[in-house]
Formats: sequence, C-alpha cells, structure tokens
Amino acid sequence: MKKELDCRDAMDAMTGLSPNTGTLPSGLQRHLSKCASCRDEWEAQSEVMAVLTPHQSVAASDSFQERVMKAIIQERISENRIAPPQARRWLRWVPAAIAAAALLLAIPFFTATRQPSPGASLLAQSASAFSKVQSVHIQGRIRTVPGDNFELIGAEYDFVPIELWRQYGETARWRVQKPGRVAVMDGKSATLYIEHTNTAAAGGPSAGFVDWLKPLLDPQGILQREIRAANSGEAQIQINQTAAVKAVSMKRHAKGDFTNAWTFNKSIQEADHTCTYRFDPASGLLAGLAVSIQTAAGEVTVAEFDRFLYNEPMPDSLFALQIPENAIWSKNDGGPAREASITFSGPKEAAAYFFDALGRKDWDAALVVYPHTAASEVLKRAYGGVEVIRLGEPFQSGLYRGWFVPYELRMPNGRIKKWNIAVRNDNPQHRWVMDGGF
Amino acid sequence: MVAATSEAIGSWPQTVEEFGRLLELTQHELVQFAAWQLGNPLDAEDVVQDVYVQAFRERLDRRHITEVRAYLYRMVRNRCIDLLRTHSRMARAAPEPASPDDPFRAAQAFEQNRRLRGLMGRIPGNEAEVIQYRVWAGLSFSEIAVAVGASVPTVKSRFRYGIEKLRRLLRTGGGSL
Repeated sequence: MKKELDCRDAMDAMTGLSPNTGTLPSGLQRHLSKCASCRDEWEAQSEVMAVLTPHQSVAASDSFQERVMKAIIQERISENRIAPPQARRWLRWVPAAIAAAALLLAIPFFTATRQPSPGASLLAQSASAFSKVQSVHIQGRIRTVPGDNFELIGAEYDFVPIELWRQYGETARWRVQKPGRVAVMDGKSATLYIEHTNTAAAGGPSAGFVDWLKPLLDPQGILQREIRAANSGEAQIQINQTAAVKAVSMKRHAKGDFTNAWTFNKSIQEADHTCTYRFDPASGLLAGLAVSIQTAAGEVTVAEFDRFLYNEPMPDSLFALQIPENAIWSKNDGGPAREASITFSGPKEAAAYFFDALGRKDWDAALVVYPHTAASEVLKRAYGGVEVIRLGEPFQSGLYRGWFVPYELRMPNGRIKKWNIAVRNDNPQHRWVMDGGF
Repeated sequence: MVAATSEAIGSWPQTVEEFGRLLELTQHELVQFAAWQLGNPLDAEDVVQDVYVQAFRERLDRRHITEVRAYLYRMVRNRCIDLLRTHSRMARAAPEPASPDDPFRAAQAFEQNRRLRGLMGRIPGNEAEVIQYRVWAGLSFSEIAVAVGASVPTVKSRFRYGIEKLRRLLRTGGGSL
C-alpha cells in the first residue's frame, strides 16, 4: 500500500504541475484536502504559472516546413559535392564524404595565407584514404579491470588487452573484446556477454555496450568530431608533422559535474585527457591512437591502440556470439526484472531494499530492483547474508545520470566493504534499479 | 498545439526523411518557444530553421542522443539568447504583430510577452531557464534535467525558488502584468 504523502512529498508532487491539469494525482488531492498550508502553496504556484503562460499561441508559417527541408537538402547536397563521382554508388563511402566535406568547410583550419594547416591536411588525407577501407582490425590495451565495463579506466589499473573488429559494407558489423567481456553487433542487433557473471544483454545495432570505444569503430566519425571540436574550441589541437611522423593531439577537459569527484578520472570523458592520433605517412590511414589522462601524479597513458590492420578477411563467425544456455539476461529496457507494487522514494531507499533482500537471500525480492532475469551465482556467493552497517546520502557525479549511494557492509566472509552503489531510474518505468558498484 | 512526445521522436534522426518527420512533429512547438523567447515570430522561424540545419549537420555526432526534444529546446534557447545579445531585441519598443489579421490582439500579446520576459529577467538565469522550459515548452523535469545538464532534484529546486521569487515580485507590484 502506498503511504500517505507528507508536506514534503506533496510539495515535490505539485512542483511544476500546470494549473490546467485536469485532475490532480489522488495522493496529492487527499493531502491538499487536509493541509491548508500546502493548499495555499498550490494556489500560489498555480496563480504564478497562470500569469506566466503567454496568452497567444504561435505556430510556424505554412511555408516554414518547405523552407527548412530545402535548407537541409541543400546541406546534404553540399556534403556530397566533394565525394568522388563513382563513390555515390556506394553507401559505404558516404560517411567519408561527410568527413571530407567537414574538412573543406573547416575554415579555422586555414592559416592567414589561406593555406590548409597541417592538421586539416593530415585529417583530410586520412578521411580520403578511409574511402577505400573494407574492414579494420584494431589491437591495443587499456588500463581497466578485466570483465568490467568497457568505459572504466583508471591510472592505477594494469593494462588489459583489447581488440576491435569493424567490417564495412551494406551490413556493417563489429566486435569488441577484452578478457571476460565481449560485445558483437551482427548487422541487425548487438549482444554483450560477461563471462565471470555469466550474464548477457541484447540490444539494437546502436546499443551502448562498448561506450567510449564505439567512435573507434567509426574512424570517419572520429575525424569529423575532432575537426568540429577544434573549430569550436572544445579541444586544443597540436600538430606534429615531419617526414617520418604525422600526428594530431586533441586535448580536452573532463565533462560532467564534479561537485562530488567520485567518477573523475574513471572514464576517458570524465578525465582531463589527450588523444593522440598517428597517421601512416604513406597511406594517410590512422595507424595509432594513444589516450592519456592528467592525474595528480602527472600524465598517465590509459589506452594505446598501436595495430590497425586494414582490409584483412573477417569470417562470419567473428560476428556471431555463442551465449551459454544458462546465461542470465539483463532487461533490454534497463528496468527491473520483476514487477512489484513497492515503490521507493529515492535511490537510498531502493539500495537499502536491495541489500536487505541480499541479506535475507531473498533473490526474488532482489529482482525487484535488479535489472536481470535472475541473480547470478557470483552475486549469491558474494552477497548472500550481507549485513548493512551504514548507508550514506546519495550523490551525483560526472556524466552518470543516476545516483551513487555510499555503503558500508559486513560481507558474508566477515570482511568490511565500503563503496558506492550506482542506482538509476531513467528506464521507461522510472523504477529504481541497481546499476553497479557492488 | 500538442507537443510531440519524446517516444514519438525517438533517437537523433540520421536521414533527410527522418528530419522531415522530426520537423512535422516539432516545428510548431519550437517556433512558439522561440517566439516567446524573442517576442518576434519572424526571428523565431529563422532561429528554429538554423537549429534544424545545425541538428542535421551534427547528426553523426549526436546519433547516440535519445532525448532529442530536450536537446532541440536547448539549441533553440541558446540561439535565442545569442540573438537577443547581438541585436538587443529586449530593448525593442515597437510591437511586431504576430498575426496581420488581428493587429490589436497581436500587439496585446506582444506587450504581455515583453513584460513576461522582463519579469523573467529579474530572477536568476538558471531559475528562469527551468521555468521557461517547464511553462513555455511543457518539458518534463527529466527532460529539463537533460537540457540543462543538472539532476532532477536540482531543476525542481530551481523551479520552486524561481516561482517563489516571481510570486514575491508580483505581490509587491515589482513585476505586474
């Protein structure tokens, strides 16, 4: 049964509600009928919102849609204009044409004498060279935890090998693999498998299983993005060009809100970082990428991709993932696996519920806030019987769209564990689910 | 006018055809939002056209974005602010009729709009921003959180503080409409 709203809940529920809302939510209605103070508050808010609503509505003119579509089509034509005529037959070449168009339009890349700068020239050569690429196999290493998500990096971790395969053509396919974790996109759908928990996830071709590595599977996109970043001032560019070396470095600041610095330097985007692209002097193709982050102890290289093998044959089996029959699947929409009438007022309450369920070894109850079809054996072994010592106040950090709840647990083996559990509710049902950190 | 839902819009469009559909779903609400920001429907259409073309030009970079509506509103608002800064539209005195069929009503609407924007200008910018997204654009607080890059509780707080300040301004006559 849902609890009655108190004044704080009522205030939260009425915030932003339009005075023209037909029927108020029943819980809020009940509270307002009993609480004069909140009723006054609601009436005052309604008055202000009514005043703020403009009297006259405005619509786009009849010719607006046609005008905009003409401008968009014109934009599309100018993108294609610089593509080689024969390339138009091949859809695969369009992204390269788009990148090349961006290069030609990159005015700040030109020097005062109207000569292309070395950076523009380098990137243009590489974009053009990419139009002949059928496939690319990239090998490298990143400082991360084997099996953990592809986005996680840390200056303190050892290097872990990583490989990426990308096949172009009418049906683009890719595979990304590091020890304990593999993601494959077979042209129609993407699948992720995590070995140590025997868990899998399925999604569409754009599923975000590979996080920040995805642009690397789309080298044309990288070039286009970096050009724009340099033009917009989002990144600082440095060119190193000699007869033997052609390299472009892009330096960026961390993105996100670091009022609480928990996620700072835990992903590339959330770190002050430098990407250095190295191009093959002869072919102009991308031949290397190194990523370093700035830490208190100095600059640390966290990712290196030094083997770019182009146009090597790729068997179909590379893009077919065999998932064990007993694998546990995560929910496609990120929501909880089990429906329940229970609701939580926030991330802390949801985390408390989760740990309580694990403590009681009530796996069905845990699934109410756990986005998988079953609790994995690893989870059962590690957390079955756990005891909560303390839960802290939720906070947000960096780019993560959920919350972190600090916890201190007495683990079943007697060890004390202090960490932050990630909790989010940005799934379609807006249900709180545990997202990591345990 | 019925606002397009985020579900109907889906992810960032990638083809000319998909942009045509996006335009059908969002053109009127974006033009209205820009017109209310600028007090000028003609400039509003120019701003929104620029935003659509920019959205098309940057479609590859933005293809992972799912909250398209929120981002479009943010792009429109940023462009409006740039335009207002450049041309000092806020200081413009003569009303520009929104509808040639009813110039008196249009003038009244313009005058109300001018005062509304003046009122919004008297509260902190980040609070006015949230209120405009909520009241003028009808964005949900989760969409607003995406648009302004803050958490839902933060944008709700900004909304409450802003409304409270506006209420005080209206009560004291400092911002009468």
